[in-house]
Amino acid sequence: MSNDLIKQYINHTLEHNKTPESVYLFAKAINMEEKEFYNHYSSLEGLEADIYKIWFENAYKTCADAEPWEQYSAREKVLAVFFAFIEEAKNYRSFAVYLKNRDLVKLPRWPKYLNELHEVFVDNMKPILSEAVGTNEIQERKYLDEKYVSGLWLNFLFVITFWLNDSSKGFEKTDESIERSVNLAFDLMGKSALDAALDFGKFLFQNR
Amino acid sequence: MEQNSIPSTKVERAMRFVKTGAQIGGNYIKHYSKKMLDPSMTKEQLHEDNAEDVYNALSELKGSALKVAQMLSMEKNVLPRAYVNKFALAQYSAPPLSGPLIVQTFVKQFGKTPQQIFDTFNMQSTRAASIGQVHEATKDGQKLAVKIQYPGVAESIKSDLKLVKPIAFRLIGLSEKEFEKYIIEVESKLLEETNYDLELQRSQEISRLCANIPNIKFTKYYPEYSSNKVLVMNWLEGLHLEEFLKTNPSQEIRNQIGQAMWDFYDMQVHEQKAVHADPHPGNFLMQADGSLGVIDFGCVKEIPEDFYYNYFALLVPEILKSQESIKRIMLQQQIVSEKDDKRTQDVITDAFIRMTTLLSTPFVTDEFDFSNNDYIDKIYALGEEVTNMKELRESKEGRGSQHALYINRTYFGIYSILNVLGAKVKTGQRNWKQPLMDYHLKADN
Repeated sequence: MSNDLIKQYINHTLEHNKTPESVYLFAKAINMEEKEFYNHYSSLEGLEADIYKIWFENAYKTCADAEPWEQYSAREKVLAVFFAFIEEAKNYRSFAVYLKNRDLVKLPRWPKYLNELHEVFVDNMKPILSEAVGTNEIQERKYLDEKYVSGLWLNFLFVITFWLNDSSKGFEKTDESIERSVNLAFDLMGKSALDAALDFGKFLFQNR
Repeated sequence: MEQNSIPSTKVERAMRFVKTGAQIGGNYIKHYSKKMLDPSMTKEQLHEDNAEDVYNALSELKGSALKVAQMLSMEKNVLPRAYVNKFALAQYSAPPLSGPLIVQTFVKQFGKTPQQIFDTFNMQSTRAASIGQVHEATKDGQKLAVKIQYPGVAESIKSDLKLVKPIAFRLIGLSEKEFEKYIIEVESKLLEETNYDLELQRSQEISRLCANIPNIKFTKYYPEYSSNKVLVMNWLEGLHLEEFLKTNPSQEIRNQIGQAMWDFYDMQVHEQKAVHADPHPGNFLMQADGSLGVIDFGCVKEIPEDFYYNYFALLVPEILKSQESIKRIMLQQQIVSEKDDKRTQDVITDAFIRMTTLLSTPFVTDEFDFSNNDYIDKIYALGEEVTNMKELRESKEGRGSQHALYINRTYFGIYSILNVLGAKVKTGQRNWKQPLMDYHLKADN
């Protein structure tokens, strides 16, 4: 039912080129008792925040149900989720563009309507990342590894904004931006020369 | 770890080229300062240094920049043979796309994942093509090759070509005018290569026309699973040149494969007037029974009629007996121009006749042994001599027809492959010379 509500909200917004001004007006426009609306959400903002979250959940499910998921490395899982998310969001691109123009994303902050997405993103990415630490695909670094998921979240916001501004045919450039930014993120999280340098520094410090 | 070491943004690639430019400059300084101390030092040493730097820079790129630089350097003989061979190999060892991107490409094109379309699909690519990669799949018991194009290739071609410019000037020694002329031709051809629909259509045409040539094998394409980014065809068995040679094929088998290749090109050039213009080793699969599989019809060069009659006339000694014919051909091929003074015209004409006489050796005999290294080296030497001719270097005109770029490259590629293969080929079987002689006899009168 809340999915239906979202569809109507999106249609209403696109047809009037602006979001409804109150729950009362929105409920009236779709022939619904205002009381009924509150069974699903407490406010229009709450509904808006659910939209991106549902896209993400759908995308994640598509990936996790597909055959190669189990064989994927963490890097590939993240790539797959990003690709699938953009594919899912494409169905409502006009609406996403409308929201973008209403509330600009200014990294590293994000507008309210992405709050729920943030939560579900973090919940789903954390297990993938900790699994990757277990397999040594990414490096365990004290204090820093708790920030990995925040970094990945910024990466995700970057991809979304890139896509919203992308004018290439079939959004090919977005595909490239996903491939490259996620690869970079994982290279940075993986074992690198920096770790060796820190390790060496520690050695010198301890053996002066 | 896939793909992370390829300089991917325009800025990064530009940096690579700037670095190379600087290195080449450095090599010249190194060369001349060494030469002051040791006058016996040859230009060979400089060549080696340059070639190594260029090779190192280019091999980190993929796609069009690599291809163009490779082509222009072949045209001008700047890279010693060892490097040209290395380039040919570099083309089929590009790093792979990630699994999820492959799935994404399929979902976009067909609305299904490769696993849903095929019975099996290997996510690891088995071969890399110049602008894409090849995966193994099966459906209904048939082994298939699935070629997937790198995303954004078409868009990157234009900016890549701009990046090649400094290299073309400094290293390969092209003039602005020559560069402009070639680049238009090259750009249109490269853009064609990114169009898999066109490749599908061309491969079907060529396979149909060449179906009767002995020992040539083509593959069957599946238009229903193909789109402008994905091509699906039957898997063709066989080994690439280098690996094939490791199996120690007999001389007879080598000759048979060489013959198939020669006949295949004879047919295309003289009958079809359109030619598979990308004869690098990655596009041929050789089989132990002496048959030759041809893949990748991305680059097909159509040969215009008047270009055909003049270019190939240079390979017919009978026609070159007439001074009138020679002059007409030189002008048509834009090797000399009416604006040149008489002496320049004579010197350049003379050099080109010498070069084509050498190049046409395989065409004027009935049988030619390509394993002869002296012959290939002679071509290199003469090529260098011509490139360094004062009259040509000082000339502000761009010389040579732009069509010749791809035809030269094609024959250069065939000669190189046949040379490495060590094949003896019956080259004089097709009678294509008569129409050319008639054409020029008529034009003379």
